Amino acid sequence: MTTSATIAFVGTPNSGKSTLFNVLTGLRQKVGNFPGVTVEAGIGIVTTGGKHFQLIDLPGTYSLSPKSRDEELTLAVLQGRESTLPKPDAVVFIIDGTNVEKGLFLFSHFAELGLPTIVVVTMIDAIKAQGGALDDITLERELGVPVLSVVGHKGIGIEELTDQFTRLSDFAIPKKWVDSSIEHHERYSSARELAHLVINIRYNDKRSELLDRIFLHPIIGPAIFLIVMALFFQSIFTWSKPLMDGIDGGFGWLQDIVSSTLPEGLFRSFLTKGLIAGVGSVLIFLPQILLLNLFIVILEDCGYLSRAAFLVDRVMGVFSLQGRSFIPLLGSFACAIPGIMSARIIPSEKDRMATMLVAPLMTCSARLPVYALLISAFVPATLIGGFFSLQGMVLGGLYVLAAVSGLLIAGVFKRTMFRGSKLPFLIEFPPYRMPSLKSLFVTVWNRSKEFLRTAGGIILVLSVVLWALTEFPRTNIPAGTTAIEASRMQLEGSLAGQLGKVIQPIFAPLGFDWKLTIGVIGSFAAREVFISVMGQLYSADVSASDTPLREILATAIGLPTALAVLAFYVYALQCISTLAVLKRETGSWKWAGFAFLYTFILAYGFSFFVYRIALAW
Amino acid sequence: MMNIAELPIGALAIIVGFGIVNDFTERLQELGLTPGTTLKIIRRAPFKGPLEITYGHSSRLAVRPNEGAAILVKQIC
Repeated sequence: MTTSATIAFVGTPNSGKSTLFNVLTGLRQKVGNFPGVTVEAGIGIVTTGGKHFQLIDLPGTYSLSPKSRDEELTLAVLQGRESTLPKPDAVVFIIDGTNVEKGLFLFSHFAELGLPTIVVVTMIDAIKAQGGALDDITLERELGVPVLSVVGHKGIGIEELTDQFTRLSDFAIPKKWVDSSIEHHERYSSARELAHLVINIRYNDKRSELLDRIFLHPIIGPAIFLIVMALFFQSIFTWSKPLMDGIDGGFGWLQDIVSSTLPEGLFRSFLTKGLIAGVGSVLIFLPQILLLNLFIVILEDCGYLSRAAFLVDRVMGVFSLQGRSFIPLLGSFACAIPGIMSARIIPSEKDRMATMLVAPLMTCSARLPVYALLISAFVPATLIGGFFSLQGMVLGGLYVLAAVSGLLIAGVFKRTMFRGSKLPFLIEFPPYRMPSLKSLFVTVWNRSKEFLRTAGGIILVLSVVLWALTEFPRTNIPAGTTAIEASRMQLEGSLAGQLGKVIQPIFAPLGFDWKLTIGVIGSFAAREVFISVMGQLYSADVSASDTPLREILATAIGLPTALAVLAFYVYALQCISTLAVLKRETGSWKWAGFAFLYTFILAYGFSFFVYRIALAW
Repeated sequence: MMNIAELPIGALAIIVGFGIVNDFTERLQELGLTPGTTLKIIRRAPFKGPLEITYGHSSRLAVRPNEGAAILVKQIC
C-alpha cells in the first residue's frame, strides 16, 4: 500500500499517546523491525479522505537527550537518521492534559527540530470534571501550531484529528518558544508559566491518592499485591488449560483424520507428525500469550503495574533486579514464552536482558509431566511426619531450587555483563484510569499476531527439522511387526537415534544411557516430549497413561540416574520455542545461544553432582 | 541541608541542588524536579524500599533511597 505521508506520534510516557494510536489505527498495525532488543514502537495505517497515512507510535520520552535505546530511536526517527523508517512528514505531539508542564517541557526541546506539527491535548475530560478548561487559543498562539483536544478512550475528537491528516499543510513549524541555551530549571519555569496560563485549575487527583492509601498501604497493599499476582498466575496456569486442551485435542483429531484417510508412509508422517504437530506446537502457546498480555495490559493501562513494581522493588533489588522483573519471572512459571515476551514492561534494557536470560530457569508447566513421571517412578510415596508426602516435597524442592538459582544468576548477570544502567531508575505513578477496551483489544491482538509471525515461523521450521531427524533415514520394518515395535525401530535407526548413540559418551558421566540421551534430544520440541520418546524407545504405550512406562523405567534405570535426569531438567533449556522467542526479543541468536549454553553447563554440572552423590550413598 | 532519604514521611522540602551530576539527576530535572521545586515525602515501600514523592501538578514518582540521596533539600516543615 502506498501511503501519502508518514506522521509520527511524539509525547511523554503515560500521556495517552499509545491509546490514541491504537484507537486510530486499530488492527492495521505492524511491528517495526528495528535491530537489537525489541522496542515497543508501533506502525499503523489510517485511511481518511481516500488517502492512506502511515502513523508511527514513537517510544515516549521526557527530553531529547536519550537515556535508553527506546528514547534514542525516537530522536533518530525525528531527525531522519533511522534507516528502517522514513523521516516523518509531520508530527502529532501529545500532551497529557492533567500534566501539561511535563509535555510543554518536552515540546520546548522538540520545537528545535523544526518539524510540521499539531498538538493534541489528551484527558481533557479529567480537567473538565474538576471544572477546568483548556485555553487552546492561547496555547496555539504561544506554540505556533494548531491545538486539538481529544479523549482517546472515549473516542472524542478522533474525527477532527483524522480530518487534520488530510490537511497536512495546516501542520505548522513550532515557534522556538524558549531560548535553546537555557538550563532545565528556567525551561521548566517557562513550561509551568504557560501551563498555568492555558489550564485554569490545579488538577488534583484525589481519587488516585485515595486508592493509593489502600493499594500502597504497608499491610493491605502487599496483601492485595499477592492476591493480584495469584490471580495473574492462576489465569495463565489454570484458565488457559481448557483452551490449550482444546487446541491439543483439535490437532490430535486432525492428525487422526489425516492418518485414517492417507496410506501409511513418509508423506502421512510428515503431514501428521511434522506439519500438523508443528503448527499445533505454535498455536498451543496462544492461550497463555493472550491471557498474560491481557492481564499485563490491563494492569499497565489502569496504573497498577507501577504500584506493584513499587511494592516489590526492594525484594527484587536483593538480586540486583527491579520491581518490574517480578511479573515476567512469575509468568515464566507457567511458560517461559509469554514470560520472556512480557519482559518488555521493563524499561531498562540491562534489567530486561538479565530477566529474559533467567526466565527459562523458572519451572514451566512443560517440566511438570517429566517431573511427575520420574518422581512417581522413583520417589517412594511415603509420608514424612504423617503429613508431608515425600513426592510432593521433592517436587516443591525442585521448584524452589530453580527459582532461587534463577534469581541468584540474574544477580550475577547484573553485576557482570549488564553492570550499571544507563536508564535511571524511577517509578512514575500515573493516575488510576479505566483502560480503553479498544486499545486493550488492539494491543493483545497485535502482540499475538506478532508472536505467530515472528517466533511462530521459527518454531514451525524447527519442529519440522526435529521431525525429519526422527524419520530419516527410513528403517526397513519387517512385515508383522507391531506398531509400537515399529516406531521403536524407526526412532532407533533415525538420525536422532544415531545422534543419541554418538553423543551418549557426553552424558555417560551423568549415568544417561543412549535411550535417555535420545529422550533429551527429542524433548527439544517440548519438554514433555521426553515422555513419548521414552515410551517409544521402551515400546511402552503411553497414549492413555504413563503407568506402563513408569513400571518399565523403575526397573530399567537406577535411582541415581533417575535423580540425575530430574536434576538435568531443573536447569536445562530444552525447548526450541523458548530459544526462538529469546532470539526474537533479544534481537540475535547470540543471546539465545548464550542462554542455552549457560543453562546446559548448569544442568550438566548439577546432574553430575546429584548422580555422584546418589551413587556414593 | 539534607537529602530526601533523610526526610520523615509527610515532610515538605525545597530542592536546593544535586549531590552528583549524572543521567539520574538529569532525568529528575527533565521530570520537573529542578532546584527550587517543592516536594513532599508521601510514603516508603516495605523493607526500606523506594521513596514516593509528590511535586508540581500532582506529579508523583518513586526513587530508591540510595539514589534519592543525590537530591539535596532544605526541609520547610
